[in-house]
Amino acid sequence: MLLLFLVIVALSVGSVHVPLNTLFDSDSPYFDIIWQLRLPRIINAVMVGACLALAGLLIQNLVKNPLADPYLLGVSGGAAVVQLMVIVTGLSLSQHLLFAFGFMGSLLATLLLLKLSYHGRIRPDKITLNGVVLAFGFAAFISFILATASGQQIKSMMFWLMGDMSFAQPNALMPVLLLISFVLLMKNHRALDLLARGDLFAQKSGVNTHRINLMIFIITALLTSMAVAQAGTIGFVGLIIPHLVRMMAGYLHRQLIPMCVLVGACFLLAADTLARTVMSPIQLPVGIFTALIGVPVFLWLNRKI
Amino acid sequence: MLELKQLNLKQDGVTVFSQLDAMFQAGQFWGVVGQNGVGKSTLLQTMAGVSNDFDGQISIDGYNTQSMSPVQRAQKLSFLLQEQEPCLAFSVKEAVGMGRFPWQTLKQQDAFITQQALQTCRIEHLQQRSILKLSGGERRKVEIATCLAQQAAYLLLDEPLNHLDLVYRTHILKVFEHFSQTQCVVMVCHDLEAVRKHCSHVLMLLANNCYLSGTSATILNDDNLKRLFDDHSENS
Repeated sequence: MLLLFLVIVALSVGSVHVPLNTLFDSDSPYFDIIWQLRLPRIINAVMVGACLALAGLLIQNLVKNPLADPYLLGVSGGAAVVQLMVIVTGLSLSQHLLFAFGFMGSLLATLLLLKLSYHGRIRPDKITLNGVVLAFGFAAFISFILATASGQQIKSMMFWLMGDMSFAQPNALMPVLLLISFVLLMKNHRALDLLARGDLFAQKSGVNTHRINLMIFIITALLTSMAVAQAGTIGFVGLIIPHLVRMMAGYLHRQLIPMCVLVGACFLLAADTLARTVMSPIQLPVGIFTALIGVPVFLWLNRKI
Repeated sequence: MLELKQLNLKQDGVTVFSQLDAMFQAGQFWGVVGQNGVGKSTLLQTMAGVSNDFDGQISIDGYNTQSMSPVQRAQKLSFLLQEQEPCLAFSVKEAVGMGRFPWQTLKQQDAFITQQALQTCRIEHLQQRSILKLSGGERRKVEIATCLAQQAAYLLLDEPLNHLDLVYRTHILKVFEHFSQTQCVVMVCHDLEAVRKHCSHVLMLLANNCYLSGTSATILNDDNLKRLFDDHSENS
């Protein structure tokens, strides 16, 4: 695990290094670029990647479905509708306001899903179905907005929808939330193991399943909302990373949780680094690269096992 | 003592069995018999706290189970589900170790008790295998071992003999019998011969909310068995 941590460090240094030819940590004119532009973006990528991977691990455990990803909670749809509307109306809001709007949109969407899937307790089976149906509803809204938007707006919307790290400023809430979730989850790692063996099994073995399912739902919703509001809908990370980590580290959450955080962070950082260097100076949406790296890596790993 | 008072069992709000009184004590091995759908599994699920849809009172050693936390209950009761749920590919050792969840014991102690449970169920040689790659009978043994590792005073078993071969059935029944010398076992079972041979007491659930309970010698007589099977033919 230490090794993986080094990978992160190496990656972040590397991505700064490479385009700037070893001009690092000096009074050079690049100094500002590194510290004011690159570093915040790297932090952002690391945070968003960690949030999404962790959220994916949780949602797959909650609904007992390997195909579940964090966007199942309708989070991305809710945030997308709100933020695209902001783009349409042409309001030039500050970064923080834009973030706040997206965060609110996604939380509202999650609350709607929770209301639909809560009958005295969380019904994981209902979450899957309601989540998928709600996502269709949001998709219709999004299509409507796209169809009525003007050419220039469409491009920024497409970027947002494919996941884009270029506009976001780091935000102090995210590491705090990540840390709190991490501690809470690690405290309950055994209960999460039992839950992965079935809700009934967990319940009869002494896990307060109602409470822990609710905790999982809330943490997933918050982590994903945060990530979406920050960077748009970056596909694939939340779906693939948990599977990848399970192949590497087994099935016990004591290892899965920290590994998901680390691998998710590494993965999105790598993808984002590619996104801004491959066709530089043109910046591509990071969502393209999460899929381009993720698909072959995953298929290869899945073949081996 | 595990005591049921005026218990109305329900499933999805519909009463399955009503007005049941029973008392299960340490040193007893109960066999619960009855036709399909009479409410045997619902009874165990209700006692184990997996189903909370009931009227009446369940108490363990004088404490109402409704006021116990899931962990407290799991320290007293361990429950073998009739069917396994789909799950991730934990190893056999990890799976059996999960039975230790309700206890805050040291890691070494947990590992020791887990090994004991694996040995009792004769699956030590499988411990590194994934539980998804086992045969039906092997998987059943893992679930039984998980229950044993839980070290509860009351062992509730819902058709534990499913999928098991004849040799192993005899072995595991002896394990339960041994367990019931100091603790209490309540086993739902369709194999009347096994119940007659191994259980000290029998709870026979019949149609129309009738039931009989007592020592197996008194309950498993020809008249009662005829009643059990007559009920069967009427309904089928």
